Amino acid sequence: MAFGLKWSGTAAFCATEVRVQFHEWLAILTGTLVQGVLLVFVWVLARDILPIALVGALVYSVFLIGQRVLNEAAYVRIDHKLNELYHASPMSPEAYFIGMSSGIFLAYLPPILVIAAVTLVVAPFGPLPWAVMVACLLAVWSVSSSLGYFISTLFRDMKTIWPYSSLITNLLGIVPPVFYPLHLVPEGWRWLALVLPTSSAAALVNGAAGLEVLSSGDVLLAGGSLAIEGIGLLFFGIYWARRAAREA
Amino acid sequence: MAGAIDEQLARVPKAGRVLPAFALVGWRWVSRNPVATIVPILLPFMFLYFLWRISDPKYFPLEVVGAMLFTTQNIGSWCLSDSAYWRIEQRLQDLFVASPMGKVRYLFGIAFSNLIPAAPALAILAVILAWVTPVSLFGWLMLLAAIVVIWITFSAIGLAVSSRLESPREVWPVGNLIFTTLGIISPLYYPITILPPVWQGVARFLPATYAALLVQDALDLRSAIPGEMATDAVLLLVSAVVGIALALRLYRWRER
Repeated sequence: MAFGLKWSGTAAFCATEVRVQFHEWLAILTGTLVQGVLLVFVWVLARDILPIALVGALVYSVFLIGQRVLNEAAYVRIDHKLNELYHASPMSPEAYFIGMSSGIFLAYLPPILVIAAVTLVVAPFGPLPWAVMVACLLAVWSVSSSLGYFISTLFRDMKTIWPYSSLITNLLGIVPPVFYPLHLVPEGWRWLALVLPTSSAAALVNGAAGLEVLSSGDVLLAGGSLAIEGIGLLFFGIYWARRAAREA
Repeated sequence: MAGAIDEQLARVPKAGRVLPAFALVGWRWVSRNPVATIVPILLPFMFLYFLWRISDPKYFPLEVVGAMLFTTQNIGSWCLSDSAYWRIEQRLQDLFVASPMGKVRYLFGIAFSNLIPAAPALAILAVILAWVTPVSLFGWLMLLAAIVVIWITFSAIGLAVSSRLESPREVWPVGNLIFTTLGIISPLYYPITILPPVWQGVARFLPATYAALLVQDALDLRSAIPGEMATDAVLLLVSAVVGIALALRLYRWRER
């Protein structure tokens, strides 16, 4: 199959997904709740780390998109059986996966932009930290969307899905140093924080913005891990989408 | 035929079985779906871990109490989900309305069934609290009283809101939005004195604020002036009564 054909339908499905998600404006609004709560905690109890928490809120917001991909892919497949129709159409499996993930990303962009605007006011970074931020957020989106899509195919019942998606999002989003500085983690555990996609992205942006001091080894570990996870999981997501389409 | 059914119904006990029955419903949810039970109660623990990392250690006992009250308050959100799901998706409420069971028993039943999954989290948090700060018998009694009042009040609010929802898609966002927002406005995880005056003023309208202040007073976690604890207790009861009355007024038992 020609390369162009493989991606045919991506833009159309992305646009469809944006429209679908905009009908769920309440869900988009509630998607900012946990970040809001944690930012309030920081503002009340540890205002000096507010810029770090805002970077964390951006990372968490993008990571949350994976949870939405999980729910949406499962909803389309389990409740509506629509995926069979999509897979029978000329649209390729990778277009289905990428279209859905990018559509959800675009729909959830407005609250992310609001947090970015607040970050600009509270901690005016230069262009380099913002460039690092964009690269890291794209990697986080790739990891979370691929994981979300993969996990969605493992379930047969909608009711059993949400606890797992919520567990993954909160375990990787709240417990590691995403909303708080890396140096608050005991030294022996820092390597783990630098390997996890959420906390490695936060550490890289904080390091680039001068909010935290990272050694070159830390940068290498965090950057390498995030790059491998982002690229590797995106390819895995595409492979899994093709496999899932064959089995549909 | 109708007479025979009425005669049979008359012999069916109309009291005393609702709470055990709903307790069984609550337990079935725990036993069949352990992950789904663990996840909602994990959030207050994650918040607690986060606060332990970022805040002054002197606030930790207060934050544990906050996690207990937040968990209890969240039962309201679960009541909202259950009640709405049974009414909208499964049409079960019609069956309950047609049964000899009354509205209040049904509402208490749902609240009780949702207390069961929250109970292990409350027990673990109680152990943590006893570990991090000395708690007198009086302190435990006040904590228990605050938990009971918050449980009833927020369950009533959740049930009342659930009766006004029309689509299953509204359930999760509306529940989350209401209960998380209320939980953050009330000073559950931080002392009320460090909040800006406007925020303090808004928080004074919420029952969970007085529950938190009452328990903080009883556990000596804040320096209250004499008589303040009694005032907090009275205001907790008043705000709870107002909340329950409003909830009962808002609640729709039968479809119109």
